[in-house]
Amino acid sequence: MSGMKRRQLWGGIAAQAAALALGLIIIFPIVYGILGAFKSPAEFSAYPPTFWPKSFAYTQNFSDAFARVPFLRFGFNSLVVALIGTVIRLLFAILAAFAFAFYDFRLKNALFLVVLATMMLPGDTLLVTNYLTVSRLRLLDSYLGMAITSFVGATQMFMLRQSFLTFPRELKDAGQMDGCGDLRFLATILLPISKPVLVTLFVQSFVTMWNAYLWPLLVTNSNHMRTIQVGITMITSFEDTNYHLVLAGVALSLIPAFLLFIILRRNIQRNMTAGALVG
Amino acid sequence: MSKVQPIQFPVSLGGPIKKAKPYLFVLPILIFAVGFVYYPFFKTFLFSFSTVNAKGVITGFSGLDNFNYLFSRRDFRIALENTLKITAINVPVTVFITMGLALLATKKRRLSPVYETMFTLPMAIAMSAAAMIFKVLLNPTVGWLNHALGLDIGWYQSREYALYGILMLTVWMGIGFDFLLFLSAFRAVPDQLIEAGTMDGAGPWSRFFRIQLPLISPTILYVALTNMVLAMMVSGPVIILTQGGPARATTTLIFMMYNSGYGSANYSLSACISLVAFALTFSLALMAFWVERKRVHYQ
Repeated sequence: MSGMKRRQLWGGIAAQAAALALGLIIIFPIVYGILGAFKSPAEFSAYPPTFWPKSFAYTQNFSDAFARVPFLRFGFNSLVVALIGTVIRLLFAILAAFAFAFYDFRLKNALFLVVLATMMLPGDTLLVTNYLTVSRLRLLDSYLGMAITSFVGATQMFMLRQSFLTFPRELKDAGQMDGCGDLRFLATILLPISKPVLVTLFVQSFVTMWNAYLWPLLVTNSNHMRTIQVGITMITSFEDTNYHLVLAGVALSLIPAFLLFIILRRNIQRNMTAGALVG
Repeated sequence: MSKVQPIQFPVSLGGPIKKAKPYLFVLPILIFAVGFVYYPFFKTFLFSFSTVNAKGVITGFSGLDNFNYLFSRRDFRIALENTLKITAINVPVTVFITMGLALLATKKRRLSPVYETMFTLPMAIAMSAAAMIFKVLLNPTVGWLNHALGLDIGWYQSREYALYGILMLTVWMGIGFDFLLFLSAFRAVPDQLIEAGTMDGAGPWSRFFRIQLPLISPTILYVALTNMVLAMMVSGPVIILTQGGPARATTTLIFMMYNSGYGSANYSLSACISLVAFALTFSLALMAFWVERKRVHYQ
């Protein structure tokens, strides 16, 4: 018996050591990127390539990167686009989920399918035609133009509806008898109860939009409207690779999504997997 | 002060307004679903059978000419081949890696929070940031990888390896989320089942193949399917890292669509490629569901 116990103990230690080693390999590119932000151009051109920077006090890259491209402006643009996109997407999703969960109307099932079926058409295949639409609406180079294609959140609508359905319908009807209007019921009772789901959906949408690359690249052409993800790829060029500056930019761009991720990891882990499995 | 009575809004406005209400709630999401999903899809469909000018206006009907032209082009065949190759490699490799990691992490141990965070961290990294890091890391002269492994490979510069360089990035980006899906699937397998298997003398391998694998098969299907769609749509890393090169070695369908539509304003060609990519992805998904009906075990 004790032999088996001991074997389990060693097995556990071995498994954890293996997991840590694999974990280090997986996060290696991130660590490498962040460390690279502290290397001088000379360290980059030195052979053999180094892993650790000579000194973490070397912050020249950050100030140079700031001087080269308007980082704060890029960050601000990303923030505005991600906020507009996320807030409107959730607002639309909440309203639709509310109707699908609490009302009976003739086209309910059909319209529900119309919204859900948007998930089957991959956004990438629609990029070029959406670009034409946005350009015709004269929304190129604008925050609205960058956010507008993310207003439809079928997954978000579906998850909110699932969450709303757990709320007893009789309670809503009872509230209505007491003169509680529909929107007031939604705002003062339903949404506060659904806060955990809302937080997850908000973070998930925000991070997705903060990280978006292709669409913001397509619909912006002036430098001051670029988002941060597009911006960091502009530090490098064919003539001048500037790897030290690129990595400084990358390291800066990682901060917001990173913070959100670390703070909300448990919450996201729980709700995201639940959502993915029902979807 | 007298008590103010709440206004009995829903009661006083009965009839048609009350009936219209749910429609009003659904209207915003519907407008945008039509405007930015269904309308562009319909338009892509129309474009592929028409001649379209550089402003994106249809000038005439052209039957199957666009498709004939597309299929006769050598670069289209290369793009198709590259895309299918990326998908054929990306899906099994991702499933294998993330399932392995999840299996290793299933049992909660003291260091679980540490390595779970490490495994999921790639999720928080934007594609463009990851691409820039890989560009440096895999660079043949200043990059650390070749040096550490004693290789001499131009990951994004040589025709033989560029596609694998792209694949390394796409696989890495998918690790976090798929690991989480497998982790919760493995943890949902009841302990009693595993214990019962052990009692019956089943070793770890047969426990895995006879008990765990059948129970997590819906998750395998889901991960394979979502990965397949993502792999069929790969274009961002190509735009950032290789521009489809060298010598078209990394040109994918969506990259070609982007290039011919946005780059050269050939909207009918771009629409054809988009439809081909969509049709392929859709049929691959249908095939997966067909396999699912035969093989996947639902509890």
